Amino acid sequence: MDSEKQVLKTSSTYTPEAIAAIQERAELGRYMIRGYGAFRNVPRFDDLVFLTTSLTRLPLEGYREKCTTKTLIGTRYAQRPMELEIPITIAGMSFGALSYNAKVALGRAATLLGTSTTTGDGGMLPAEREASSKLVYQCLPSRYGFNPTDLKKADAIEIVVGQGAKPGGGGLLLGQKVNKVVAGMRTLPEGVDQRSPCRHPDWIGPDDLRIKIEELREATEWEIPIYVKMGATRVKDDVKLAVKAGADAIVLDGMEGGTAATQSIFQEHAGIPTLPALVQAVEALQEIGVYGEVQLVISGGIRSGPDVAKALALGADAVSLGTATLIAMGCNKPVYIEDYHKLGTEPYHCHHCHTGMCPVGITTQDAELMQRLPIDEATTYVANYLQSLVMEVQSLARACGKSDVHNLEREDLVALTLEASAMAKLPLAGTDFIMGQS
Amino acid sequence: MHQTIPQQIVIDCTNLTTREINQKLKALASEGISTKLLNPAGRHNLAVGITQNIIISIAGPVGYYCGGLSDNINIEVFGDCGWSVGENLMSGNITIHGNASANAAASAHGGKICILGNAGPRAGISLKGATLIVSGNVGYGSAFMMQQGCMIVCGDAGANLADSIYEGAIFVGGEINSLGADAKLELMNDTDWQLLEQELSAFNISARDYNFKKVICAKRLYHFKAKDWGNY
Repeated sequence: MDSEKQVLKTSSTYTPEAIAAIQERAELGRYMIRGYGAFRNVPRFDDLVFLTTSLTRLPLEGYREKCTTKTLIGTRYAQRPMELEIPITIAGMSFGALSYNAKVALGRAATLLGTSTTTGDGGMLPAEREASSKLVYQCLPSRYGFNPTDLKKADAIEIVVGQGAKPGGGGLLLGQKVNKVVAGMRTLPEGVDQRSPCRHPDWIGPDDLRIKIEELREATEWEIPIYVKMGATRVKDDVKLAVKAGADAIVLDGMEGGTAATQSIFQEHAGIPTLPALVQAVEALQEIGVYGEVQLVISGGIRSGPDVAKALALGADAVSLGTATLIAMGCNKPVYIEDYHKLGTEPYHCHHCHTGMCPVGITTQDAELMQRLPIDEATTYVANYLQSLVMEVQSLARACGKSDVHNLEREDLVALTLEASAMAKLPLAGTDFIMGQS
Repeated sequence: MHQTIPQQIVIDCTNLTTREINQKLKALASEGISTKLLNPAGRHNLAVGITQNIIISIAGPVGYYCGGLSDNINIEVFGDCGWSVGENLMSGNITIHGNASANAAASAHGGKICILGNAGPRAGISLKGATLIVSGNVGYGSAFMMQQGCMIVCGDAGANLADSIYEGAIFVGGEINSLGADAKLELMNDTDWQLLEQELSAFNISARDYNFKKVICAKRLYHFKAKDWGNY
């Protein structure tokens, strides 16, 4: 009998997770809602490695020689393209989903590093505009707080068609986060469960988008770049359509990309990972002859210097970070542990952004919780983090013999797994074999 | 004695790009000069992004987004208009002497958009505080996700009127094909009739000639509850 106990059998279909999911639905009678992006394991940049220099190529001195990081976005039509000091931007996250302190800290950190930050679904917070030397103003389906006065203050516009965490779906801001200020900015009743639309009110298809882009350009005197942000699904066609509609830059968000709240079915079962999305987007731009003319910003689960360097090597002009910047300022930090417990979770496992009860004051509108995130400290953490990423990218670039991080190239990479080889169309390490090509 | 004659500049759109027309309009707006546009020929994006007071009269049909993303403007169009007229308007007046295509007054925050004709589907979609007046009918999905403001339709309203509305009111003088989720009929009161008389008298329309009905939010779906799934 004892030996039987030692070999408990687990169903591969009804795993403990599957059983818990069934029973949670049985209790709730609805789908699950949570923050963050896909939890499942997917082929990612970690599955690639660099072939740095030895005899065939010369490295640059790792600690001394210059390796430039300047990045231009929006050179196609805009009179004033976005000039960034680093190839890393901060992604759109709304005031509402994030606290005031978090938004201001992101703006200040971006300014310190000479890069841009992005508004979000809820309008432009005046303090965010003040904190950010370069601010991208999102034009979302909800149009919450969208107005021509703030539009004219923007340094770029990002038309949001979708995002990686929920391509084809809309976000949620549950009532506990819709306080008086947030409701006022969004023209909504206080405390309402705000379910964001996923379709723009004034245009529908790519032919209309062309006219919408012209409207935004006319309203901003053709001065500032217009990005089109999409969740990664049918990447090749979508990128080509966005280019045809007149986008200056494409922002493409893979399924690892985060959200403050949506249905977990979207996070886990909709969209493709960032790695293949990037490769397909570059191919699409090349196929229609606009690679280099229309810039590509890639996002979705990027969280280390090597991630950034590999994205650049595969052809991105810049990457955009959301969740990782929040983690840098203290998301999931093992402090205020009793408050994690109140949410039924633990540090390192929390994804309860949707509850508004963020133990570290980032994804909350509760004044007391927000106090736990001093703006100066959060600014320093995010700035330090971004700086360290840039240093890592430069180190890898120098080791590959590049004096500009944008000179990293596909030739510098190989894949460690068959999946990554197939998706990145790179040779498997130590072989000439490219899965699906050879 | 000097007689003050209001200045009016006439612009013929025929040989100008949209960029040139809008630049001229913005320059004139900054000087407070009223303008007449000739031969618009259904062009998109006329008079967009103007945030200084100007009076513009357009002699002919216009395309998408006429007067979009503007603040404090007065536009009169003598012709039909394309999609999303007055989109995101903040304040001012846009009057169309003709029919409007889809999404009239989409997401408009303030001011007044008047369609003296019929409007297509999704009229008043995401309306955020503006007033939309339609002397004829509106198509399906009108006032979808309306957040605030007022919509007056003298004629009929298509299917799913005011679906998922948050706040604001819709007055329909004709037949309502169907109401969308969380929309309900409310009894008209004296204040409502006064509002309608006041708003419509400017167009020589007598509100009392119509059997106006009022539609507002039932507020039953403000909070996301599993038991409500059948309502969507």
